[in-house]
Amino acid sequence: MGAQDISWFSLVWALCFLIPILWISFKLELALNRAILISVARMALQLGFVGIYLKYLFLWNLPWVNALYVLLMICVACGSILKASQLKFTVFLPAVFFSMLIPFCICLLFFNRVIIGIDNLLDAKYFIPIGGMLLGNCLQSIIIGLSRFYSGIKKEEKVYQYALTLYQSRLLALKPFFKDSVIAAINPILASMATIGLVALPGMMTGQILGGSVPMVAIKYQIAIMLFIFYIQFFGVILSILFSIRSGFDPFDMLKQDIF
Amino acid sequence: MIQLQDIQLSVNTKALVTGLNLEVAKGEKLLITGESGSGKTSLFKAMLGFFPVQAGQILIGTEPLNPKTIRLIRQKIFYLSQDVDLRNDRTDLLVQEILLANHIENEWPGTTGPLMDLLNFTPEIWTRHVHDLSGGERQRLGLMIGFLLDRPIWLLDEPTSALDDTMKQKISDHILKLDKTVLIISHDSVWQRPERLKTYRWG
Repeated sequence: MGAQDISWFSLVWALCFLIPILWISFKLELALNRAILISVARMALQLGFVGIYLKYLFLWNLPWVNALYVLLMICVACGSILKASQLKFTVFLPAVFFSMLIPFCICLLFFNRVIIGIDNLLDAKYFIPIGGMLLGNCLQSIIIGLSRFYSGIKKEEKVYQYALTLYQSRLLALKPFFKDSVIAAINPILASMATIGLVALPGMMTGQILGGSVPMVAIKYQIAIMLFIFYIQFFGVILSILFSIRSGFDPFDMLKQDIF
Repeated sequence: MIQLQDIQLSVNTKALVTGLNLEVAKGEKLLITGESGSGKTSLFKAMLGFFPVQAGQILIGTEPLNPKTIRLIRQKIFYLSQDVDLRNDRTDLLVQEILLANHIENEWPGTTGPLMDLLNFTPEIWTRHVHDLSGGERQRLGLMIGFLLDRPIWLLDEPTSALDDTMKQKISDHILKLDKTVLIISHDSVWQRPERLKTYRWG
């Protein structure tokens, strides 16, 4: 049993509520209409392409192609993170790339092998959608973590410098900024885990139920995926900050001014 | 103890100081005076590696200031910044953390004792957060940290600017008796004591 298909004509109907939104936005002078239209168009186009190439990825199901595809997703994610954090791409790319790749590989392979118990760890059916979900959720937390960390130090540079003189160690001087950034980055997923099922039904579970899974199977998947989203966010944020410190500071432990 | 050799400091392209030569012997006390904004604080910051030196060399003890020696040099210097830029935390936790980071044990000032008396603190100070302290209290807390760390070189940037006259006198008397090398930037007349400390006119 699969989900009821949506016709292309019906999908056009899904756009109808955009009309009052665009009108209200125009009347309130929110200057959002251009951004709304671009975002909707990009979402539709990007997902349209995903539909096309996922069809072939699932059809071929070649491990190296699947791995390559996920690597490409990580690279795109790195670009988005650094753009949103307003940090220099060339300086921080290696740090962000490895801080995503390491927890991602460990979490995803563990999830596929131990939790789901599949033999082909790179099976497109599991590797790509679960990988995409983990990456997508990791993205936001790393953006919050990195931008909070570097903007915090920039804003309170005197406090950081003073701490350097008192603590004898760069890591100890950075500790409060690090703590603050990790907490800010992790809080949304903690709140999300605490309210899931009460406030909203998660997308993966809804998708599985629509796809024909019995609710208990969907719920078990959802619990497992939420835990792994939390793990990858936690380690992703910590590693991204730790790996980036080497590039973000000069030999005198000062925050480099040309990293933003 | 401190040697500044042909130092040049600049902000953007504007030179703050050029060809500065200064030598401060161990235990010596030096008052640096000069106009506000003329770069005196930048000199202190340069000695801590926070401000780039365009030309010349800074020697602290026998160590030339460079990326390899900077952490060692910072361990020798107690710096009291103008605004005492301490992180906002409860004062007791903050001071304990600083002592722990410096591997200093059994030096916790407690609720009574000579240091608490000197700085005119009551035990209530240890229940407050840094941002709740007045400028004078913050300055005294900064000085307390300096006494506890007991480092050989002190760089004090306006250390008494927020204190009342009695406290200014008491603190300056105490600092001038210390067996430390002390450089003071101040506009306070309490430090104008040629018999106790040399004066370097900046600029």
